[in-house]
Amino acid sequence: MNRGIVIGEVFATKKNQKIKGYKLLLVCLLDEMKKPTQRVVVAVDTVDAGVSDEVVVAFGSGARNAVKPLSRDVLVDCAIVQVIEGVESFT
Amino acid sequence: MILARVVGQVWATKKNPWLQGQKLLVLRPLTWYNPEHHCDHIIAVDPVGAEVGQDVVCCLGLPTRWELGDERYPVEASVAAIVDLVEVYKSACEKPKFTFMKGHKPTKIVERD
Repeated sequence: MNRGIVIGEVFATKKNQKIKGYKLLLVCLLDEMKKPTQRVVVAVDTVDAGVSDEVVVAFGSGARNAVKPLSRDVLVDCAIVQVIEGVESFT
Repeated sequence: MILARVVGQVWATKKNPWLQGQKLLVLRPLTWYNPEHHCDHIIAVDPVGAEVGQDVVCCLGLPTRWELGDERYPVEASVAAIVDLVEVYKSACEKPKFTFMKGHKPTKIVERD
C-alpha cells in the first residue's frame, strides 16, 4: 500500500462492466517525506474520498479485495482503501 | 491502473491461439506508478473498443486475464475504460506541487481551482 494525494478525477462513460458505478480518481503518490513523486495512478474509489484528501492506495489483489472480496475477475489493480486523517511518526 | 493514449493498433495473423479474435492496441502511458517498470509503450488487449487518439484507463496484471475468462490468456494489459474527461484540481496540485510532464498530458483535461 502507498500513501497518495487525490489530485483529480477521471470521467469515463464507456467502461468495463465490472467497474461500472465506481469513481475513478487520479492519485499522485507521495514519498516518505510527503514530497510528490511523478508517479500517478488511476485508482478506484471504495471509501468516497474527495479531492486533495490524503489517501492510502492498495495495489494488486488487495485492491481487488477492496472492491469485491475474493474476486478474481474485477478489472482493478489500484484502489483507494483509506482516507488518512493524521500520521504519527517516531523518528 | 494508468492513464494512456492509444497511438496505434497491432495486426497479426500468426499468433497464439488464445489471442485469436483479440484486438491489440499500442498505448503510450501518460502516468506511471512503478518506476522500475517504466517504458514508453505497452500493448494491451481492448475489450472496450477504443480508437486511435483516445485516452484510456489501462489495467495491468492478473485481473486482465480473468476478465477475458481464463487465467491461461497470454495477456497482462487491458483497456478498462475510455476517458471522456480528466479533471485536475489546482489547489490539490499545489501542496505538494505536481504537474503533468510535457507531452504527457491527457487531451481532454479541465483544470479547476
